[in-house]
Amino acid sequence: MPSTIAEKILARAAGVDVVKAGDNLPVRPDYMIAYDFPGYTDVMFKQMHDDFGIRTLAEPHRYVVFIDHMLTKGTEQERQVHQVTRDWCEFYGIELHEARGIGHQVMAELGYALPGNFLIHFDGHISGAGAFGALGWGVRRDLLEAWVSGQIYLDVPATTRFELVGELADGVDSRDLVHHIIGEYGADGCAHQVMEFAGPGARGMSIDRRQGLCGMAMFTGAVSAVFEPDEAALAYASRVARTEFTPQLPDEGADYAAVHTIDLSELRPRVVLPGSARSDNTRGVDELAGTPVTKAFIGSCASGRIEDIRAAALILDGRKVAPGVELNVVPTSDSVHQQAEDEGLLDVLRAAGAQIARSSCDFCFGYQKPLQPGENCISTGVLNISGRMGSTEANIYMGSAYTVAASAVAGTISSAEGVARS
Amino acid sequence: MSALRDYPPPPDVIRGRVAWIFGDDFDIDLVIGVENIKSYDADFLRGKVMRQYDPTFADRVRPGDVIVGGRNFGYGHPHYPPMVALRDLGIAAVLAESFSPGFWRGETYNGMPLLTVPGISTGVAKGDNVAVDWRAATVRLDDGTELRGTPPSDRVRRVIEAGGSLKLLLAEHARQPADRS
Repeated sequence: MPSTIAEKILARAAGVDVVKAGDNLPVRPDYMIAYDFPGYTDVMFKQMHDDFGIRTLAEPHRYVVFIDHMLTKGTEQERQVHQVTRDWCEFYGIELHEARGIGHQVMAELGYALPGNFLIHFDGHISGAGAFGALGWGVRRDLLEAWVSGQIYLDVPATTRFELVGELADGVDSRDLVHHIIGEYGADGCAHQVMEFAGPGARGMSIDRRQGLCGMAMFTGAVSAVFEPDEAALAYASRVARTEFTPQLPDEGADYAAVHTIDLSELRPRVVLPGSARSDNTRGVDELAGTPVTKAFIGSCASGRIEDIRAAALILDGRKVAPGVELNVVPTSDSVHQQAEDEGLLDVLRAAGAQIARSSCDFCFGYQKPLQPGENCISTGVLNISGRMGSTEANIYMGSAYTVAASAVAGTISSAEGVARS
Repeated sequence: MSALRDYPPPPDVIRGRVAWIFGDDFDIDLVIGVENIKSYDADFLRGKVMRQYDPTFADRVRPGDVIVGGRNFGYGHPHYPPMVALRDLGIAAVLAESFSPGFWRGETYNGMPLLTVPGISTGVAKGDNVAVDWRAATVRLDDGTELRGTPPSDRVRRVIEAGGSLKLLLAEHARQPADRS
């Protein structure tokens, strides 16, 4: 029976020949991932030990933990949170990756997000693994089910296929594509489904942009997103793979809930109004031109990769961040940071007046330099609900790294279109 | 997470009234206000729940009442305290045209019956008495009208019968259930 990528990955992970959308069955993830966060990992480890009586893990290599939140205050509370995580990981023999960058990026660099792999996490931005042809699914507290049983019951999702053609114009990137998709098909346009990206436009998209796009899948209602693994994905995976892997491609005649063709060359920069990413909050940048900003942020698991930093450097080269605006740039991982340094990009950003911070999740959730009441921030972060980056009385607009950099220079929300060519 | 309440499983048929009807893409955090989404304090939450919509809500709701939503109920970045606040008042189920996946998964884990019932948001009015057979996903009104939704999968049915996923998992997988020292 012809299958989608998601169906093939889930069938393999479930140890059956075929699954189809709507089936409910237990599936064994290749990796069961978490980042340490109070109320999540500390509670889950304690439940596993105290309530379930689990003292040893049969397959500790399937558990992966990152320390990427709460790294920037240097407080005793931070130290304690992380020490609890270190102690549990040592007790169970779980590999812990500490302060190397944002886990959703580091998992790719360390070879967990391999084509054909099935990954779960309590956090939905694990879907960024789809850039490599892996299926990453955020299951919230159901991660505990997998941790204690090695498997998780899931409804096999239907798939919507996106045939991408054309190339993104200068100053436009995949962040604009995801907001375009939400604008066109709604905040539940892919509800409970997987988004499958293919076509020449997909193959022409850099890995970084694929990660940014897939990582935002939840805002279309999707449970995940996945690209057909191509030469670029396989080349990356081969370089970092920690195990063998089995890439999965969709079968001819696979059953899709919908198929949409999108011409990337027609996309224009988008900005999302404060509140949420839903479609009626999605606007063309030009509609919001002139809106003043005091903070600008390039980072998060959906941005801050080398392509995003190159985009920012392209805009900021020879220009200055406007007076009264603070631009913070946070590379997605330490290795991205190093590459950006080696390419001279961070020198360009510093010369323009940007502030560069060590990689972590802390800006995106309002832990580091929280927004103050009345501030307007333009951000590549993943979420713009009230209070997400600090005060509930601050406004968060979201856009691409191009748009954020251009807005930082202008001091108002501005498009980068044309700037790249000038 | 550690502040989770312990709620018993629902009866076979949930009988109550429609306490409120929300629109499409409803962000559950608004039930208590985004400034309060980190609190699990029962008294505090009772003082905040639905204040923006109806200051009498907390006094009005009786155990067994349900809330109704439109399409994509729970959209956004759902936190747990809003549903804790509603369940503390006695809200026994959520009936919606459709649910946002993250909300659906998080609250199913907590054992809350979330029933997808097409037509529910226009088929009932606030204050209507409803009898909800949650396993069959049927909603019966006083006038005999019945709306039919999508029954939960066997796995979700077992989660709800157990009073939440944690209890089901403990029954299935605990190796030394008595060892909780």
